[in-house]
Amino acid sequence: MMIHLRILVWITCLLISRSVANAQSVQRTDTVQLTPPPRGPYNFVMTVGSGLSFYSTHLGVPAALEQTHVSRFGVPATLRMMWYPDHRLRIGLETGWTTMYSYRGHVSGEPAHVYVSLVPILLVFSMPMAWLSGTERSIARRFAATVGTGVYLNHSRLDYLGTVLTNTNSLGWMAAGSYTQPIGRRLRVAGELKWYDAVAAENAAFTAEVQLVWRAFSW
Amino acid sequence: MKSVIYFLLGVLLILTGSCRKNYEAPVPYAFNNTPGAGHFVPSVRQSMEGVYAVSDGAGQFGGQVVLKWTYLLNGADTNHYLSIFTGTDAGYFNLEGNPKADSLVLNGYWRKLVNTSTGLVQLTVKSKHNGRLQVYDTNKLETADTLVLEGLYSNDKASPTQKLTLTYRRPLNSRPFSIMAHRSGGRTSDLLPVSENSVEMIKLASRLGATGIEIDVRYTKDGVPILYHDNALNLRLIQKNGLTGPIENYTYEQLNTLVRLVNGEKIPTLEEALETVVTNTSLSLVWLDTKYIGPMDKVQAIQQKYRQKAILNRRNLRIIIGLPTTEAVDQYKALANKDNTPILCELDTAITRSLGARIWAPRWTLGPQTQEVLAMKAEGTTVFVWTLDEPKFIQEFVSQNNFDGILSNYSSVVAYYHYSEQQ
Repeated sequence: MMIHLRILVWITCLLISRSVANAQSVQRTDTVQLTPPPRGPYNFVMTVGSGLSFYSTHLGVPAALEQTHVSRFGVPATLRMMWYPDHRLRIGLETGWTTMYSYRGHVSGEPAHVYVSLVPILLVFSMPMAWLSGTERSIARRFAATVGTGVYLNHSRLDYLGTVLTNTNSLGWMAAGSYTQPIGRRLRVAGELKWYDAVAAENAAFTAEVQLVWRAFSW
Repeated sequence: MKSVIYFLLGVLLILTGSCRKNYEAPVPYAFNNTPGAGHFVPSVRQSMEGVYAVSDGAGQFGGQVVLKWTYLLNGADTNHYLSIFTGTDAGYFNLEGNPKADSLVLNGYWRKLVNTSTGLVQLTVKSKHNGRLQVYDTNKLETADTLVLEGLYSNDKASPTQKLTLTYRRPLNSRPFSIMAHRSGGRTSDLLPVSENSVEMIKLASRLGATGIEIDVRYTKDGVPILYHDNALNLRLIQKNGLTGPIENYTYEQLNTLVRLVNGEKIPTLEEALETVVTNTSLSLVWLDTKYIGPMDKVQAIQQKYRQKAILNRRNLRIIIGLPTTEAVDQYKALANKDNTPILCELDTAITRSLGARIWAPRWTLGPQTQEVLAMKAEGTTVFVWTLDEPKFIQEFVSQNNFDGILSNYSSVVAYYHYSEQQ
């Protein structure tokens, strides 16, 4: 599963790089003109979202625990700030909070509970898929692929004979696909499927989110 | 069209290159651990130790190997194991006598620490008399006879089919020398069958060539000295359980119940580790590496308790507190009573002298430091060097004959070069 998603990220990167190359070739053609076309508009877009997450990789529960209950589901929250330029490749930052997993059980009658979550701090690149159909008016324009890389802050909480709160950093990546539906001049609603992978900590989750996309500034 | 081809080539490249290889080297042999040595009585074991020439099998294990017997005490029982150190790719053999065989038969496995190569081994001890191989009998051994170990080896779990012949060349180098194994015997990252800084690794250390061990001491939140190298729980050392962060944040009970080292062992307390050293092994030196920040009195008390226990057990065992930093030196200086508290100083010679440390241990990257080493030795100070893993430098440092011991992650390599050194 992880391998396939990694492949998806690489393919997305290839598609993005090819699109950038195309955009540059168009620009080169434009330079022949005496008066270059006006640039813009540029937009600063803020996205907030939430939904359901599912921890999708190996998880370890200590053998000493009895009557264990494991939960792989959580409610993620996403905040993304993007710069939409006048070409397809968009760049921005993403953060948020996602439950990875939790488990509870008993050790000699004493309750034990472990909860693991992470906060992504990622540099993300996004691109609408319209170029695939060859027309800017295609519905494919509303589909976007997003990839990112950065740091995940892994947070763990242990409740067993006291409480221990710890944080550790892990490099990682993300990949997502989304569909965006306009609902107003500056507002859109989006559905996004996303894979978070904190590689060093071996934490990974699949999320499905509904997002509100707000075009905060234009110039 | 061209871009499509490039795209497809890219996808193909990703498909073939995106898998992360998981390295493993499982031990292919299950030891019987039968108490006693069977046919391998003390005289046989003693006569077998030495430097051997490799004829069949030299391509895999090099032209020369070292044979050394070790043992493990289990209450009233003793288990004997034969180790073979190859000097090639940090290779070693672990063998045990086959009690069911009529003759001197050894079974076990070989492994190379620099990769995942491993396999099974079956050897029979024979003697060459007038050019002919015959059953080995110590009572009938004549001066001109030569010991020969003949048998088969394999790769992985396959039945042994490839020929291996070892012929006795000379006795082991008898110069006193400390072969100290890092992290209680070896690193988890070298795919050893047990985890570093575990009780199980301490029991394995001698079979990997060590005569002493270095162990990493930290305190839990409730002040229990335990063995753990890194400053945080991480997947390099422990099984995945969701717990991360500094080990000092957790109490001993929390760690003992919920945390297991990568091969399933518990994180041992310093007391459990030293109890194992004293009651189960023949190790002669324990180097307590000070990884903690805080008072040293608890470690000192444990060190003195097991020093006494070793004396009562008539064990030749030194338990030394290592001082790797100025903070550790300050912790040592803060001790109310420094009697019977041997220390090892990793800092410069001036600090070592000022502390009255019995052992000076400079890092190997500072070079041979011949003048300083000889000066310290002239003053009666023992000099070790750490942490030396490169075979070329191990050979060089051993042959220079200046140091009294080497700390290494590859104690089998140090053992090979030390025992095979021509006196």
